[in-house]
This record gives sequence, structure tokens and C-alpha cells, in this order.
Amino acid sequence: MSAIFESVHYIYPSKVHALRGVSLEFRPGELVALMGENGSGKTTLLKHINGLLKPVKGRVIVEGIDTRTASVAQLSQVAGLVFQNAEEMFFESNVFDEVAFALRNFGYSEEVVRKRVEWALKFFELDTYSSQSPFLLSGGEKKRLAMAIILAWSPRIICLDEPTIGQDSLQKEKMKHMIKMLNTQGRTVLLATHDVEFVAELRPRVILLSKGEVVADGKCEEILTDETLVKKASILMPQLVYAFKRLEDLGFDSRVLDVDEGVRQVLKVLRHESV
Amino acid sequence: MTIIQVRDLSFTYAGSSKPALKNVNISVERGEFVLVVGPSGGGKSTLLRCLNGLIPQFYEGEYSGKVFVDGLEPDKTPTYMMSQVIGMVFQNPQNQLFALSVEADIAFPLENLGLARDEIIQRVEEAMELLNISHLRDRSPFELSGGQQQRVAIASVLAMKPKILAMDEPTSFLDPLTAAQLLSIIDDVRKRLQLTVLLVEHRVELAAAKADRIMVVSDGCVVFDGSPRDFFEFYDSHLYGVSAPKVTSLTKRLKTHLEKWNRVCLSAEEFEAEVRSLVSHL
Amino acid sequence: MSLFEGLRFRPGTTFIHRLDPRVKLATSTMVLITAVIHIDIVIILFLLMLESLVILSAKVQNLWIKTIRGALPLVAIVFAITFFSQYSREPVISTGLGYALTYSLRLLVFLSSFSLFFLTTTPDEIALTLQQLRVPYEYTFAFVSAIRFTPVMAEELQIVLDAQRARGLEVDKGPFTKRIRNLIPVLVPLLVNVIRRSYELAEAMEVKCFGASRKRTSLKQLNMRRKDIFFLVVVLILFSVGVSVKLLGLEPVKTLPLLGQFFPA
Repeated sequence: MSAIFESVHYIYPSKVHALRGVSLEFRPGELVALMGENGSGKTTLLKHINGLLKPVKGRVIVEGIDTRTASVAQLSQVAGLVFQNAEEMFFESNVFDEVAFALRNFGYSEEVVRKRVEWALKFFELDTYSSQSPFLLSGGEKKRLAMAIILAWSPRIICLDEPTIGQDSLQKEKMKHMIKMLNTQGRTVLLATHDVEFVAELRPRVILLSKGEVVADGKCEEILTDETLVKKASILMPQLVYAFKRLEDLGFDSRVLDVDEGVRQVLKVLRHESV
Repeated sequence: MTIIQVRDLSFTYAGSSKPALKNVNISVERGEFVLVVGPSGGGKSTLLRCLNGLIPQFYEGEYSGKVFVDGLEPDKTPTYMMSQVIGMVFQNPQNQLFALSVEADIAFPLENLGLARDEIIQRVEEAMELLNISHLRDRSPFELSGGQQQRVAIASVLAMKPKILAMDEPTSFLDPLTAAQLLSIIDDVRKRLQLTVLLVEHRVELAAAKADRIMVVSDGCVVFDGSPRDFFEFYDSHLYGVSAPKVTSLTKRLKTHLEKWNRVCLSAEEFEAEVRSLVSHL
Repeated sequence: MSLFEGLRFRPGTTFIHRLDPRVKLATSTMVLITAVIHIDIVIILFLLMLESLVILSAKVQNLWIKTIRGALPLVAIVFAITFFSQYSREPVISTGLGYALTYSLRLLVFLSSFSLFFLTTTPDEIALTLQQLRVPYEYTFAFVSAIRFTPVMAEELQIVLDAQRARGLEVDKGPFTKRIRNLIPVLVPLLVNVIRRSYELAEAMEVKCFGASRKRTSLKQLNMRRKDIFFLVVVLILFSVGVSVKLLGLEPVKTLPLLGQFFPA
């Protein structure tokens, strides 16, 4: 297992009980979407994976290590976390050093650092900006840099907190492509997100959280089309599912997650009836 | 009655070599709901700021062209006067709330304008009631959720009784459910007060059906200005950084496959109506 | 964070809480002045007792203890310094202790006088007080903004810290010089955020007509009620007694030698 949560409870100093007995298992190479409204526990859960938060009760085991026995620096080497506004964490005078920062912290030799930084920058098409200030990059470039920073040390698990916030369709398309690539490389990818359409396009395993508890865990097609679950987790249904649900009385199946499937169904019903 | 008129507007931010807006010409009628979309960095926010005077008064740069908002020229009129005609709500709810209570925050611009206390009290009550936040009056902004904060920000702006409401990605920081609720309340308020609304928004599916018009701003130019339906039907919105609502993409395809499919739909409700009407005619 | 506990956002309901903040401010000032002009243990103890009465009636004893706890090292230092400087002049333990006690308790009275004000007044009320005392609006606004954005910045600090720790930054390890250098990845993003926030805030302020009118009005107003005036009168009387006692040299005896009778030499 890549990561295991065993009956994890977490209570913030402000007394908010953010995780209530969460038990989950993440297999290597899985693509998982964590969904739920603000305050449901998504970010709290992600922070347990790299040890930023340690469970108050229960335990979290990441790549075989109990998080309570390891430091954040140690856990981060196997589990990278890209924060929601990671573009606001830059501080170096050039892009190269910005990416090298983590690698140097982890103790890699300068030779290895150079190789890895160059690889990461090339992978995210930022190699031409190597000596530029990270503050001068465009919004989309900054987001790619944030990913390059984490990918540079090639963690086996990657956690992304709201990767599509505030992005236009072109940027989201790129993000989808990057996530799929990470997954093809064999990494376990966890996404905490609200973007239900984005999730519908990726078809990952979906975990719904509500008030710190897991209310659903399974296939995207089954969960996002279940009205009760969607309501319980206070998320929005994908538009197509919502639209087809309203037409169930006409014989439509609401488990429609993409446009192709939708077209097929409508044609079937309309042509069939006209015979 | 035209309330906004923009003629040959060009603007380049100080220190930048590329123009942010190039020869923009638009006009908006009183009471219209205009959805402004386009790729990030394309000029949407810049355009909005040219309407209330932040450009060129707050943001310096090369400015040419003429802008008229309710008869006033934003480049020559003090911003506090512009704010009473065109109110603006920004992306980040946290950074538009100044006071330590909701009530005090809504009163803030009115106090700045030196209005009489009775007037202030009345306007604050009305604004809170409009946005359904009267029960939050004593709360401090830090304690509020993102959705509540945005409602306070909107109330604060509406307290000045502007005729136009300009919003720059107000739902960016909100989850989809809250975003839908916020846009729904904005639509209600707009109808009640007969406001002209300019909304910059990435979440097109939440507003496409409600908008009268869509303006696509890309690379500093207005590449499309017309009905949302026409835009989605005749253009590949994705090329302009605009995610078409899934139902819209679906019905666009259906139109090519089925002769009898009438129109490209902008919402699930429209789609349902179309399907039912077609089925009943079979 | 214990100092910030004092700046709560919702008004309390005790008599003290409901007093007009100007009256409270005046009271705190008068207590402070009385403590400054007297170096007499009896007066100091009397003031401390009055303050305790106020604390208890306002039911803020827990918060007060938290605020004072932070200052205890300072009080201890004052105690030690006073004792040794006095002892070096007059090697009598009892006198030394007497002075030390007086000075440290006096410090406690100073600290409490204004902490009481802050513990029983909301920041909103403080802002109103400043406004009605004709402090230029820019200063009041700066004060309110500082309070308004402190929790926001505290949250941001945590976020930046978390993000950099996820990049392997270890903030509590290594020699002192390394730890100082490790602050850069935290301080730079914070500073950048502060600057970005200032721009956004300035924009919003423009849009909300900040500075539009020289004659700024306000939603709320402080009004003195009978009980405020009554309280103020009582405090004024006590204050004048305290001042006259000093001016007329009627200090409750040179009490320090008296203390000596309780301590073995």
C-alpha cells in the first residue's frame, strides 16, 4: 500500500474535530479525487500524508513509515504536496534555485541537484526561464513551476490541493494532461478538489468527505451520479448527470459523465421512438 | 438606453511593453447582464478597471480612447464619484473587507462619503436585507465563510446605490455550491434593483443561461460580443480559454446529428425542455 | 497569542464591559497616573485591590492572568534589580524587600490598568473612542486594519511554513546561523503576500471612497449614560484623593520601616 489511514482522528487546536475515524487505503499508482465542501477535511487529510499534521488518534502509514515516527522532511521525500496557492511560496531570485531548494534540503549532491532541476524544468517547459526570477512568470507558468518544484525529487505519492482553482479552460486542459502523465509514471496521485467536471473527465477513484467522515468511496461513475451521496457531501453534480436525471422518466440513464455518452443516449431515445 | 460606451480604448500598463487592451469598442445598455470571459491575462480585469476609473487613476500607463459610464468619464472623474455609479467587487473576499463587523463594513463607504447617520443606518439595513445577511451583522469578517464574505462585499458596494455592478471573478475562491448560490442571489438582486451587471467569470455554466450577452476578451481585444448561444454554437470556446458548459457541448453535437434539434442549450433546464418537446412530437 | 486574547470581538455583558469606553480609558489613565506619582506600598496595594474588584466584576480573571503571565519575567527582573540596588545602598533585607515589592507591584498595576481597558473593550469600541476623541481617521483606520488583518496574517504564516516544510525546510534544527537563514523562505513569501494584499486593499479602498470627504461620518456613536457619568465621578473623586494625598504629603506613613517589623533583619 502507498498510504494507509487507520481510524484517524484529528482535532485542531481551535477544537475543530476535522477528521473523525477516517480509514482509507491508497494503492500504488492510483488516481484518487477527494471531494467535499470547504471544511469537510480534504486538506486536513492531505496534510497527514506528509506529516504536517499527526493524528490525534489512530495512525497514518505512508510507504511503510508511521508518520508519527518521521519528520515532515523525511515524509515529504516520498509524498509531495502541492498547495492550493503554491505560486505564492516563491522566494529565490531565479527559477533554478527555486526548484533546487528542496533538493538541497534533502541533501542531494550538487551534481544530482543540477540534473534533477534541469529534468523538472524541461518536463514542465520552463527550461528557458531557468535564470529568471520566479516572480516574473505568468500565472500559468507559476503553477507549472509549483509542480516542477515538487516533481524534482520524484516522490512516489503526489498530493494536489485544488489544482484547478481560478484557471481558464486551456490551463485546466494542461493540468489534466500533467496529472494523467504523473499517474502513467506509476505515481499515486491524490487530488483534493471541488471541480466536479474536472473529476468527471479524469474518472479517478472518488472519495467523498463530509464533516470529517468518509461518506463514499468508489468509482467516479457510481458516486457522482448518486443524488443522496452528492447531497450529503454538499457538492454539485456534474451538469450532464443533473440534466439526465431530470429526464429519467423518459427512459434516460443518468450515469452520463461525458458528452459522447450523452449524445449516444439522446440519439438512441429520439431515433428509437421515431421508428 | 446606453449606459456604458467605450470607443477605441487602448491601455498599456506602466512598465509593460505589451498593450493590455487594443482598440476596444463596446456599448452596454441599461439593465443588461453581460458575462465577460476569456483566457487568463487576456484583458478582462483590465477592461473592468477602465470602467470605474481605477485605470488610469490607480494604475498608471498609456491610455487612449474614450469611455463614458452613465455620462461620466472615468479617466477624468474622481473615483469616489465613479463608485456611486459603478460598484466593483473583487476576487478575494478577504481583501475587500476592512472593518471588524459586517455592519461596520457595509457602512464603511457611506461613512467615507460623509452621509448622514440616519441615511447610513437605513442603507446598511437595506443592503443586508437584499443579500440576506442581516443575521450576520455583528460578526467579524474573519469568522465568515468565503460565500458570506462575498455577500458582505457586494452589500457594501450596493449600499452606495450604483446603477452598475462590476464583478471580477467573485466566485474564484468559493466551492461550486456556494458559487451557484452567490450567482443566484446576484441574479435576484439584479432583477430587483434593475442593475446593469458585468460579470467576469470562469464558471460559465453557472451564468451562461442568465446572461443577456457574452463578451469574449482575448489578447486585449474583444473577439466576440453577442448572444451566449451564438458564441457557443459558432465558436470553439475552448480556444478562447472558455469552458463550454457540458450541456452546451452536447447540444452543439446533437445539432449536427439531428436535423430537428433546434438550439444549442445553455443550461440543464433548457436541455430538458428541448428533449421533452422533441419526444412529445414523436 | 496571549496578548491578543485581550482583543476580543464581541462585547461582554458585565457592567464594566458596558461602560462607555471613554470612561474606561480615562479610568485607566487616572490609575496609571496615581501609580506613577506614588511609591507607597499601601496606595499601590489599594490600587491593586481596586483593579482586582474590576477584574472580578468583569469576570475576566482568566484572561487577565494569561496577559499578566507573559509579563512575569519582567516583573521578576524589576523585583531583583530594585532589591539589589536598594540593598547596596542600605544593607537591610527588609527595606530591600519592601522597595522591591513596592516597585514590582507598581509595575503590575501599570500593566493591569491598560490591559483591563483592552480586556473589556472591543476593537470596534476602541476605534469609536479614537474617532470621537478627534484622532485623525488615518490613524484609527490603521489601528483597526492591524487588528482586522492580524488573524489573517497569522493564518498565512502557518500556510507558508507548511508549504516550505513540505519542501524539506527544517525550522527547528541546526546551528543558530542556519536557523536565521531558514527564515528567509518563510519571510520572503510573507512579505510578498503583504505587498500584494496592500495593493488589493488599496484598490478596494479606492472603490469604497476612502478619503472622499473631509468630514467623515459614522454609523455608531458613543453616548454617555447616567451610570457612565456616575462611575466617572466616583473615579474622579478617588483620583483627586490620591493626588492630594501626594501633594499634601499625607502618605499613609512611611510604611517601609513598618514593614521591617514583620521581617527579621
